[in-house]
Amino acid sequence: MLEKFNYDNKIVRNFAIATVLWGLIGMTVGLLIATQLFSPEMNLGNQYTTFGRIRPLHTNAVIFAFVGNGIFMGVYYSLQRLLKARMFSDALSSIHFWGWQLIIVAAAITLPLGITTSHEYAELEWPIDIAITLIWVVFGVNMFGTIIKRRERHMYVAIWFYIATFVTVAVLHIVNSFQLPISAFKSYYLYAGVQDALVQWWYGHNAVAFFLTTPYLGMMYYFLPKMAQRPIYSYKLSILHFWSLIFIYIWAGPHHLLYSSLPEWAQSLGVAFSIMLIAPSWGGMINGLLTLRGAWDKVREDTNLKFMVVGITAYGMATFEGPMLSLKQVNAIAHFTDWIVAHVHVGALGWNGFLTFAILYWLIPRIYKTAIFSKKLVAFHFWIGTLGILFYAIPMYLSGFLQGLMWKEFTPEGMLKYPNFLETTLQLLPMHMFRAIGGLLYLTGVIVMCYNLIKTAGSGKLVADEPAEAMALEPAFIPGSGEKTWHRSLERKPMYFLVLSLIVILIGGMVEMMPTFMIQSNIPTIASVKPYSPLELQGRDIYIREGCVNCHSQMVRPFRSETERYGEYSKAGEFVYDHPFLWGSKRTGPDLHRQGGKYSNAWHFNHMMDPTTMSPGSVMPPYPWLIDQTLDISTTVAKINAMRTLGVPYENGYELKANADLKIQADAIVANLAIDDIKVQSDKEIIAVIAYLQRLGIDIKAGRIGSNQ
Amino acid sequence: MFKQFIDKSLGADVYLITSLGIFLVFFLVVTVLLFTMNKKHVSYMSRVPLNDDKA
Repeated sequence: MLEKFNYDNKIVRNFAIATVLWGLIGMTVGLLIATQLFSPEMNLGNQYTTFGRIRPLHTNAVIFAFVGNGIFMGVYYSLQRLLKARMFSDALSSIHFWGWQLIIVAAAITLPLGITTSHEYAELEWPIDIAITLIWVVFGVNMFGTIIKRRERHMYVAIWFYIATFVTVAVLHIVNSFQLPISAFKSYYLYAGVQDALVQWWYGHNAVAFFLTTPYLGMMYYFLPKMAQRPIYSYKLSILHFWSLIFIYIWAGPHHLLYSSLPEWAQSLGVAFSIMLIAPSWGGMINGLLTLRGAWDKVREDTNLKFMVVGITAYGMATFEGPMLSLKQVNAIAHFTDWIVAHVHVGALGWNGFLTFAILYWLIPRIYKTAIFSKKLVAFHFWIGTLGILFYAIPMYLSGFLQGLMWKEFTPEGMLKYPNFLETTLQLLPMHMFRAIGGLLYLTGVIVMCYNLIKTAGSGKLVADEPAEAMALEPAFIPGSGEKTWHRSLERKPMYFLVLSLIVILIGGMVEMMPTFMIQSNIPTIASVKPYSPLELQGRDIYIREGCVNCHSQMVRPFRSETERYGEYSKAGEFVYDHPFLWGSKRTGPDLHRQGGKYSNAWHFNHMMDPTTMSPGSVMPPYPWLIDQTLDISTTVAKINAMRTLGVPYENGYELKANADLKIQADAIVANLAIDDIKVQSDKEIIAVIAYLQRLGIDIKAGRIGSNQ
Repeated sequence: MFKQFIDKSLGADVYLITSLGIFLVFFLVVTVLLFTMNKKHVSYMSRVPLNDDKA
C-alpha cells in the first residue's frame, strides 16, 4: 500500500543554523586562545578569559556544539530518507534541539567561571552531565522510534554508524561521569590517579572515535553517494570496515598514556590495537575515495566534492598518523608537544570541518528549494579553508618536532642543552603566530560560508514538510523465503544490531580496564604518600578551577631528559589520592609534578602576580585575583567528607578540625612570605595555591621511597 | 623493540595474544560471512541512498 508522508526539514534547518552559529563562536574562541599563546595580553586581564578557562570552552564548543549539531543535522536529514519515514516524534526532535542548545549555553557560562571537572572534553560538571544523558536518551528514542516505523526494511550502512554512535557515546559518557557531588557545581571523580587517567583516556580516545568519526562516516556513506550520484564503492567493505572499526577503536585509549604510570601491559595493549586501527580506518577512506572512481571530472567542477575529497584525505592522514604516534619511540618525542595539536586539527579542520561544510552547501539549497547563492564564494571558501589548514598544521608540526627534540637535547658534557623550559617555549612563538594566521584564514572561510548560506536561504523558502511517498512495510517476514544471509537479517533488526554493537565495544573496554581496577598489584602503594592537607586540597581545587592542567602536566616520564629536568619520574602509587588525576596532555609550560620545594613561597607569590618578573618573556598569564580573592573554607568539611567516602584515609571527625589545620598551615606560609617583605592575609586563595604547589611530588623525594617500585 | 614490552609487563603476553586472538576470530567470522552475502542484496543496499528521492 502506497503511503504519503512528510519529511521534517525544519529540524534539519534548525540544527544547520546551530552548527554554523556555534562553529563561528567556537572557532573565534580558538583564534583567541591561539593568540594568547604568543601574546599574554590577549588573556584580557581578567580571570574569565584566561587560557586555562577558555581552552575547554573552545574544545567543547567545536566538538559538542559545532560538530554535535552538525551530526544531528546530518542524521535527521539522512535517517528520514534512508528509512522513508518522518522522524518518530516532532516533540522529541524539538526537545532534543533546544535541550542540546541549552547544554551548550550552560557550558559557555560555567567554563569561563572555572566550573570544571578537569577531564578533557568532559569538563562539564555533574548537573550538566545529567542533562546531556537525558537529551542523549531523547535523541536515541527519536532515532529508534523512526527506525521502528520505517518503510525500508533494511538499514543502510550509514544507520549502523548512527546506532554505534548512539550506544557507545552513551556508555562513554556515563562511565566517565561517575562523580560524587559536594555542591551544585563541584564534584570529585570516583576514580583516582591511574584508574581515573585510564577511564578518562578510554573516554577521550573514544569520544574522537564515536563522536568525531563514526557519525561522520555514516554521513559520508549517505551524502557522498548523493553528491556524486553513484553508489558507494563497496558495500561489503563497509560492513567489514564498520565492525572492525568499532571493535578495535575501543581498545586503543591507553596510547594517550604511554610512558606514564599506567601499567605497562595496558600501554602495550593500547599500542597493538592502535596499529591495527589503520586497517579499518583506511577501509573507510578507501571506500569514500573510490566511490569517486570514474567521476573525478565531477570533482573538478563540483566544489562540494572537493570539500569531501580533502576531508576524506585528511581523515586518511590523521588515521595513519594516529597509529604512528602511538608507537612508543615516536610518542616519546611527540607527546605533550604541539605535534598532537597539529594531528588533532588535521582531523578536526579537514575531516569534520570540510565534511560539515560540504553537507551544508548541499543540503541548504535543497531544503529551501533554490540554488546556492554564489558558487564562487563556495570555491573561495574551499581554497581559503584549505590554505588555513596548511597554515595551521605545518607550523604546528614544525613546532612539535622542535619542542620534542629541544626537551631531549643534551650537550656533549651530558647536561641538558635547554635547562630552562621557557627557552624552548620562546623559540616556538613564530610558529604559533603562523598557526593563528592559519586559524584566521579558516575562520574567514566560515564567515563567507555563513553569508553565502544566509543569502541562499533568503532566495528560497523552507520546505518545512517535504512530501514523500513509499510503500508500507509488509508486516510479515517469511523465514526461508530467500533471506539466507546473516547480515541481511541483522539489517532488519535494529535492536539486535544495538545489542551486538554494545557487546563489541564492551569487550575492549572491559579487557582494558578490569585488571587495573581489580588487581591491586597494578597500582603499588607507597607508604610515604599521604592525603593532602585541607589547605592543599583547597589549593588543588583552585588549580583545577584555573585550568592549570591545560598547560602543565604532572607526569614525569622515565627518560633521562625528564628526570634531569624535573626530578624522579612519577610512580603510580603517588596518585592514589588524586580525585581527579591531573597528569595533563600538553606542556605549554613545564611539568609540575616535582614542583614542591623547588622554589620559595615568595617566588610562587611573585610568579602568580606577574610571571614575567620571575621568568622574563613568559607567556603565562598573570593571576592577580588569587591575591585579592578570599578562599572559601565553608566547603572544607564537605570536601574532606567526600574524599573519605572515596577512600582517602582522613580519620573520622577530621573534617571538624580541618579548618583549624588549614589556618595553621596558611599562617605559616604567610609568616614565611613576610621574611621576603610580602604582606598578604592568610585567608587569600594564593596561599592555598602555594601550599598545593609546594606539596607536589614531595612524598617520595630522595630517601623516602618505601615501596616496591 | 617488542622485547621490552614483554619483559617489563607481567602477563602482558597472555593479554596481548588473547586480545589479538579475540579480534582475529571476530575479523575472520565477519570476513567469511561477507563472502556468503547475496550479490543482489548487496547491490540493492548500496543503492538505497540514491533511491530515496524517487520514494
